[in-house]
Amino acid sequence: MLSAKTEVIYSIDSLDATAGSILNMAMDKRIWLFYGEVGAGKTTFIKSLCAHLGVLDNTQSPSFSLINQYLGSKGGESLDIYHIDLYRINHLEEALNIGIEDYLTENDYCFIEWPQIIEPILPKETFKILFEIVDHSSRKVLIL
Amino acid sequence: MHPDESSINILSIESSCDDTSAAVVQNGTPLSNIVFSQKIHEQYGGIVPEVASRDHLVKIVPVVEKALAEAAVDFDQLHAIAFTRGPGLLGSLIVGTSFAKGLALSLDIPLIEVNHMQAHILAHFAEKPHPEFPFLCLTVSGGHTQIVLVSDYLAFELIGQTLDDAAGEAFDKSGKILGLGYPAGPKIDKIAQKGHAVFTFPEPQIAHLDFSFSGVKTAILYFIQDQIKKDPTFIQKNLENLCASIQHIIVKILINKFRKAIQQTSVKHIAIAGGVSANSSLRAAFTDLGKEMNCTVHIPKFEYCTDNAAMIGVAGYYKYLRKQFASHNIKPLARYAL
Repeated sequence: MLSAKTEVIYSIDSLDATAGSILNMAMDKRIWLFYGEVGAGKTTFIKSLCAHLGVLDNTQSPSFSLINQYLGSKGGESLDIYHIDLYRINHLEEALNIGIEDYLTENDYCFIEWPQIIEPILPKETFKILFEIVDHSSRKVLIL
Repeated sequence: MHPDESSINILSIESSCDDTSAAVVQNGTPLSNIVFSQKIHEQYGGIVPEVASRDHLVKIVPVVEKALAEAAVDFDQLHAIAFTRGPGLLGSLIVGTSFAKGLALSLDIPLIEVNHMQAHILAHFAEKPHPEFPFLCLTVSGGHTQIVLVSDYLAFELIGQTLDDAAGEAFDKSGKILGLGYPAGPKIDKIAQKGHAVFTFPEPQIAHLDFSFSGVKTAILYFIQDQIKKDPTFIQKNLENLCASIQHIIVKILINKFRKAIQQTSVKHIAIAGGVSANSSLRAAFTDLGKEMNCTVHIPKFEYCTDNAAMIGVAGYYKYLRKQFASHNIKPLARYAL
């Protein structure tokens, strides 16, 4: 069951298992917010989530491209996954100008890194997770 | 009225990410290349409709008008409209695609769709000397790191790419760790010139011709965190050497993989494309690699390296020559393989 403040410490070896269990915990929540500093493991975690969701393409960081779109599948049905990174966006208006609202639908997965700037326009139902560096070989993921 | 076929004029539109750009390309050579700047915006400030909610919608008309004016080419002298079909942001691509379709339809001239990543490579044909086929191109930007074998104007084979972060991102994120603002790449380049690569970071062991920069970013982060524990002023004291060391490892990763690609393909011409090719250390290392491997090196002018419409027009010209025209029910593609 999903409880507030669940936290998991994982290493690179247990990354895929951790991502899999957190995917189950999120149940039908489709808009995920990823908090944490540079190097905290957000993109790497999303790569693993995408693999669980049947994405066959190379999952690259969208820090420059802002939004990467992947094709995944769940329960035999294909689904779109939007990997969004707002790292280099400075104002809410810039995010609105690239059409960010069009992606925030209930049907597709949206994995959003550096979401702080768009918090005012996010729907109520989101899945928030925070990444922290524990040491050189492990990370902590907190479900907020 | 049919325009004169002795000089083929193509109007090109690029709107794949956050820059809006238009260019006029004549027989494969750019006559103008306008990338939207705030200045144009001010110039048209009173005319831009308030209702336009998307940046590209606001920018596209003034950018196209300026591209035509600067090239001294009128609408009735155009032979085709070329546009970026993808990859990129769907909302942005729709604006460029719709605009191109509308214009091509109203002028009754062909429509040409262009792959943005192919266009980055074909930017090498904007000016002479042109690379000879087959050649290898290293495309390095904030969003891409690719090694492509080019055997013809329209024949590309992706033989290596990043598995995570792009090279430009490795510069920017390392710069963030050092407290340099975005974009940090050019700042690292400048500061590094005063320093030496005294700190070493491990080169990732990635199979084939692929790259990884995520591990390098983390290695830099750990190293700096450890040093700050011992001396909180570590970054300030060592900024020049840190920048030089970070630049050294990123360039080394790129060059070592590219050397391997040259050995595997036995090409005699090598080329570099994308915004990161402005990095002085990478340019120097790339030129040295050319000498070492006995290859002719091609580095385009910087304005053709970053996202721009001239490269879309150059690619459009080679498609025009082969009559590779698009139909009017064509849709933009956010994902579009090379």
